[in-house]
Amino acid sequence: MKFSYYPGCVMHGTAVEFGMSTLATCGTLGIDIVEIPDWNCCGALEVYPDMYLELALSARNAAIAEETGFPMMTTCAICFHNVSKAYFAVNESEKAKDMINDALGDMKYEGKEAIRHLLDILVSDYGLENITAKVKRSLDGLKVAPFYGCLLARPKEIARFDDPENPQFLDRLIDALGAESVPFEHKMKCCGGSLLMSREDLAHHLSREILEEAVNVGADCLVITCPMCNVLLDLQQKEIEKRYGITLNMPVLYFTQLIGLALGHKPKELGLDKNMVSTASVTKKLGVG
Amino acid sequence: MNTIKAADFDPNFKFEIEKELGGEHLTKCFNCTGCTVGCPITEIEPTYNPRKAMRMAILGMKKELFESEIMWLCVSCYTCYDQCPQDVRITDVLNAMKNIAEREERMGHIKLESAKPAFDKEFVDSIKRHGEVYETGVVIAQIVKHQGIKRLFEYTSTGIFMFKKGKLSLIPKNIKGMKQIKNIFRVVRGEK
Repeated sequence: MKFSYYPGCVMHGTAVEFGMSTLATCGTLGIDIVEIPDWNCCGALEVYPDMYLELALSARNAAIAEETGFPMMTTCAICFHNVSKAYFAVNESEKAKDMINDALGDMKYEGKEAIRHLLDILVSDYGLENITAKVKRSLDGLKVAPFYGCLLARPKEIARFDDPENPQFLDRLIDALGAESVPFEHKMKCCGGSLLMSREDLAHHLSREILEEAVNVGADCLVITCPMCNVLLDLQQKEIEKRYGITLNMPVLYFTQLIGLALGHKPKELGLDKNMVSTASVTKKLGVG
Repeated sequence: MNTIKAADFDPNFKFEIEKELGGEHLTKCFNCTGCTVGCPITEIEPTYNPRKAMRMAILGMKKELFESEIMWLCVSCYTCYDQCPQDVRITDVLNAMKNIAEREERMGHIKLESAKPAFDKEFVDSIKRHGEVYETGVVIAQIVKHQGIKRLFEYTSTGIFMFKKGKLSLIPKNIKGMKQIKNIFRVVRGEK
């Protein structure tokens, strides 16, 4: 199993632990991922008003991946959404394909294969039973709230995952690792990420509701798939506590960090010391130093 | 109650939106409210309502939309997009409207008050300069300009934590393919 890996800008910045745990986890599972050379930013959520620019920026990355001959893979929900959009645009409309390739100049994007999200690869291709077989440290007793957020599951024709209204792939992954996925009503709600820099009050309000439900259902941690969700739920958690005068103390792990723990990796190898909210309560419960 | 005059509306606005990528399906909207049910922002911010934004666009209330914060309150969660029975693709339509507004601002025709388009611009400009977004610079610039230097200082301990953990870079670096990035901006936006 070999993929062209598009990490996205945040893996060099706020989501460095997401990048570390992706490499560690894929290494142990025997999934060969090779970072594509000289990729650019997909424009994240901030490029959305200008869809032509959004498609062209993502098409450049997809074109680089296409040259490698291996299917493209990412772990960032936003990069996944943006590159998927470029793939569907060139496949659905000749006009869009010409426009996009005009912007690419000396490069060419054919749109041969859709980008995959690592979570989808693990569940649909690798197989959860094969992950379970590699578990060295069962997460038995750990209660985990699965949080899908927006762009991994919506819009449904772009995400193409199991059930757009009540997805299960993250729940099933958590269970396959020996942990318990708790029913989580807010699992597909929005963290408010794109409004953090303009309407912090609204963003904090949305994230507070997610974190409070995790506390109320007795989860030991939240598990996420998107680096923007991490900014709100983990990096901003103290700010949210301050704004509302509440205590949350909810560890927020990337799904790759959770898998890595079950595969027997040391917390440091997974960047668990880089999460803003301490993950010590989780590792302590698992008996890991 | 404010009176609105239909004669002041811009009847071409809906066609202008439909010419934008993403805006093509606007006039499929029959105002059923399916979008508004479940909108996480409508639930907490009563001035925002996707149905109302679609109605205003179809009626041609361009000035009212561009002078208010309405379209900048959309959080891009795509909930309404999936719920719409008419396949209006509301999130994309709102983005098409934002694109017209941001373009008009770049041409110096209007001034947008919201901090959201300002952040979009800061972010996209960073990509144009470096290929990768320079997160640290973009975020600091936005906080200083729109929340004040005092707010930035409140982030000192978070900033120090992030720096120690290797989550903040102090120097932007350019990708090798800057020529290709410049070409994208030249073709898409006519920018040098």
